[in-house]
Amino acid sequence: MGGSPVTSETTTERVDRSRGAELRTLAILWAVFTILGVVFALIVPHHLMGPSASNTMTEVERTFTAFSVASAPVAAVVWALMVYSLLRWRRRGAWQEGDPDGPALRGHALTSGVWISLSSALCLFLLVWGLAALSSVDSAAASSASPLEIDVTGQQWVWTFSYPTQGVESDQLVLPIDRPVVFKVTSYDVIHSFWVPEMGIKVDANPGVTTSTSTRPDRLGTYHVRCAELCGLLHADMETNARVVSSDDFATWVAGQGGHA
Amino acid sequence: MTTADIYKTDPLPVEPHGGIMGRLNLATGVIAGVVLAVVGNQLAHRLGDDHPHEPDARAVFTMLGWAVGFLLGMGAFTGPFRWLAGRDLTHGDELFLAGKGQGVGRYFRFTTDHKVVGIQYLVLVMVMLGAGGSMAMLIRTDLISPNSGFLGPQTYNSLVGLHGLTMILATIIMVTGPFGNFVVPLMIGARDMAFPRLNALSLWLLVAMLPILYSAAFLGGIPMGWVGYTPIADQGPTGVDAYMMAILVFAVSTAVAGMNITTTIVTMRARGMTWTRTPIFVYGVLASVVLALPAFPMFMAAELLLLVDRVMGGGFYVANRGGQPWLYQNLFWLMGHPEVYVILIPAVAALMELTAVFARKPLYSFRLAVLSIVAIVGLSVTVWAHHMFASGWAPDLNGPFMLTTEMISIPTGGLFLVILGTLWRGRIWTTFPMMCTYAMLWNFIIGGITGIYLSDVPLDYQLHGSMFVTAHFHYTLMGAGLTGAMGALGYWFPKMTGRMLASTPAFVSFWLVQIGFNVTFLGMFMVGLEGQPRRVVHYDTAFHSGNLISSLGAYCIGIGMLILLYDVISSWRHGDLAPMNPWGAKTLEWTVPNPIPLENFSVLPVVTEDAYGYGEEPAPEPEPEPVPASASASAAGDPAGADGTAGAPA
Repeated sequence: MGGSPVTSETTTERVDRSRGAELRTLAILWAVFTILGVVFALIVPHHLMGPSASNTMTEVERTFTAFSVASAPVAAVVWALMVYSLLRWRRRGAWQEGDPDGPALRGHALTSGVWISLSSALCLFLLVWGLAALSSVDSAAASSASPLEIDVTGQQWVWTFSYPTQGVESDQLVLPIDRPVVFKVTSYDVIHSFWVPEMGIKVDANPGVTTSTSTRPDRLGTYHVRCAELCGLLHADMETNARVVSSDDFATWVAGQGGHA
Repeated sequence: MTTADIYKTDPLPVEPHGGIMGRLNLATGVIAGVVLAVVGNQLAHRLGDDHPHEPDARAVFTMLGWAVGFLLGMGAFTGPFRWLAGRDLTHGDELFLAGKGQGVGRYFRFTTDHKVVGIQYLVLVMVMLGAGGSMAMLIRTDLISPNSGFLGPQTYNSLVGLHGLTMILATIIMVTGPFGNFVVPLMIGARDMAFPRLNALSLWLLVAMLPILYSAAFLGGIPMGWVGYTPIADQGPTGVDAYMMAILVFAVSTAVAGMNITTTIVTMRARGMTWTRTPIFVYGVLASVVLALPAFPMFMAAELLLLVDRVMGGGFYVANRGGQPWLYQNLFWLMGHPEVYVILIPAVAALMELTAVFARKPLYSFRLAVLSIVAIVGLSVTVWAHHMFASGWAPDLNGPFMLTTEMISIPTGGLFLVILGTLWRGRIWTTFPMMCTYAMLWNFIIGGITGIYLSDVPLDYQLHGSMFVTAHFHYTLMGAGLTGAMGALGYWFPKMTGRMLASTPAFVSFWLVQIGFNVTFLGMFMVGLEGQPRRVVHYDTAFHSGNLISSLGAYCIGIGMLILLYDVISSWRHGDLAPMNPWGAKTLEWTVPNPIPLENFSVLPVVTEDAYGYGEEPAPEPEPEPVPASASASAAGDPAGADGTAGAPA
């Protein structure tokens, strides 16, 4: 608009009308992107992460989906403006000396204010959600009277699981279903990271200290224990199985290993 | 902007005269480097005898000898030596150092002209990106099938680490090096950097670093990834010594460059260039180097402790000697998270700068842009332990670190608003650099949102150390950072080389790289969510499809990058000659002619308004003889007046 002031009223009306249409198109674009984003958020992450095998993983998947849904309208604002500006505000041909410039808009206090307020509100929502999820994840096993305790030791490049109460040691992780379990994790040599992807738990195995994580397996099946911290030559091979079994099968397994329930 | 007939350049009719410096160049540097490396090696060998740490001591002394010898042979310390000897450099010597009257040879010397240093940085960054990119291709080729056996585990682990470190070091310098050195002095109306010799020193330190870094590949590799976690670094082969020494040299270079750029920007802006009239790119570069100044000493300290561990048998990180691996992680991430913004801020600031030019609009809310950058700089030093949520260190602090991390999304959103607001109803000229802004917006929103997932502690427990993290930071550092640097390259190419970057190959490359990029890293998000850990040489067959997608996308990026490289080389050699101001921009670097004279400005400019006055006020007649006093008094200024006297295209 620079340099050509609008004088006639009909032009003003036309400009208003076209600006109304502009905002409408943008709103529609935004809505379409938001809907696409929400549909994606509801289906894809859950599908990729697979069925959850513990209460922790259920919480992880719930949080992932909630964050994805919440961020869909934000990403949609950016995408809608990108697409619209490319389609409608694009100059045909190269810039020439003397071409009129765009409008001399040096900021819009209301827009900036709303933008900052909304992003702060979203940030607050994420924080509150995160703290709530964190405390629910942390309290799962802590609240239980008799969690199963397992000492996990990483060493280059195997995992050892020892059940002190049962007097059993194994290179396979076997867990009774629906019983809270606390892992006390340490390492003989370098840093490893104890990860059961299907259960949403991970904590580093550090030499010289013990870290802990806990969960409650709630689905029968065979899952994976992987190392998530580069630990040397055979890091990629440092994995084993995690089996979730019924409490009867667990007792049988313990007895078979020479332990006592 | 207008000019004043003060500070006339070069009052003394002196011929350049370099003395001994005329005989020192890259070749003498290499010779002296090799000689001192051999001396260091033999010295450590004799003194070390049969001590268990003798191989590490030998490696460290060899590399130290190489670095010191190389810089001595380059003539980096001739100035201080002459000063100590009471024969400080004369004006003629300084002119020789600046490369006056020398041809291509000045690019292979310890030349102090900021434009030469900028070009040297650009070539260095391209070499490093090429090396890191080739390693990425090897990694992706190995991962194309679950058990390809293309690379052995030792080679693979080393490649992962060297790829990461190469790319991190390259991206840290990719904007502040080439463009911070070449463009910033021009942009602020200065004749050179504040400390030209330190400027050259920062560059040649990096050149000295490269052989040290890549010698790691021949010294048993690095087993611990680019983060160099201990205690695995304590037990690694001598390749780890190369890693440490490379980082120590890099940290010195960063300190020297950061101090120099900071001083230049704070003290050498043209008359009238107040902080509100300083272009946003200058803020971006300043923020980046100011943030790097406290960050890199942390990394340096971490590596010095590791050096004591490895060479002298200390136990800072070794648990059974009372050491503590978490110490390393804290020091490392105190550098590691600010460093992300050291990379991102100048890249995004470059895109802001060029978005205003190509949208033909003032930058939307300059104050919000500055405020956001300052807020990010401030917050970024408070978030480091979000990399350690799953490490078991201080679980009670997870909540506070989640808070600070999520707060960064607010000023980052501010940067988005600035760019989107600048696009709003603009007259958008979709050149290659402008398209990089669009690509950055697309990639950075994905990188930013996935960063929020990772800031959430329970989600991070699941995603940490998985391919999801790898995909996330590639979206930020490559999708936003490197894309921003490519935009900056396209934008300033005409000023830096005097020729236009051919547009067709640039666009072919753009689409190949951006589509390939999104394919690669969406595939990586996929396998990350499915549960694939990072840095594994082979993987479960369940992750095959996502990895195949990633590898195919990576080849697409590789081809696109080669096309861009071809475009840069061919346009540099015989592209169309660039006019003085091909984009019609209003910042000062476009007011100097091509090729740029040694002193940049024959008459130093005086600034009366900011560089974003697009669409404001019809142009008045240019004044034939602008008077400084009245010009700086009229704050409204006259943009076309400046164009008339200094900025009209040739």
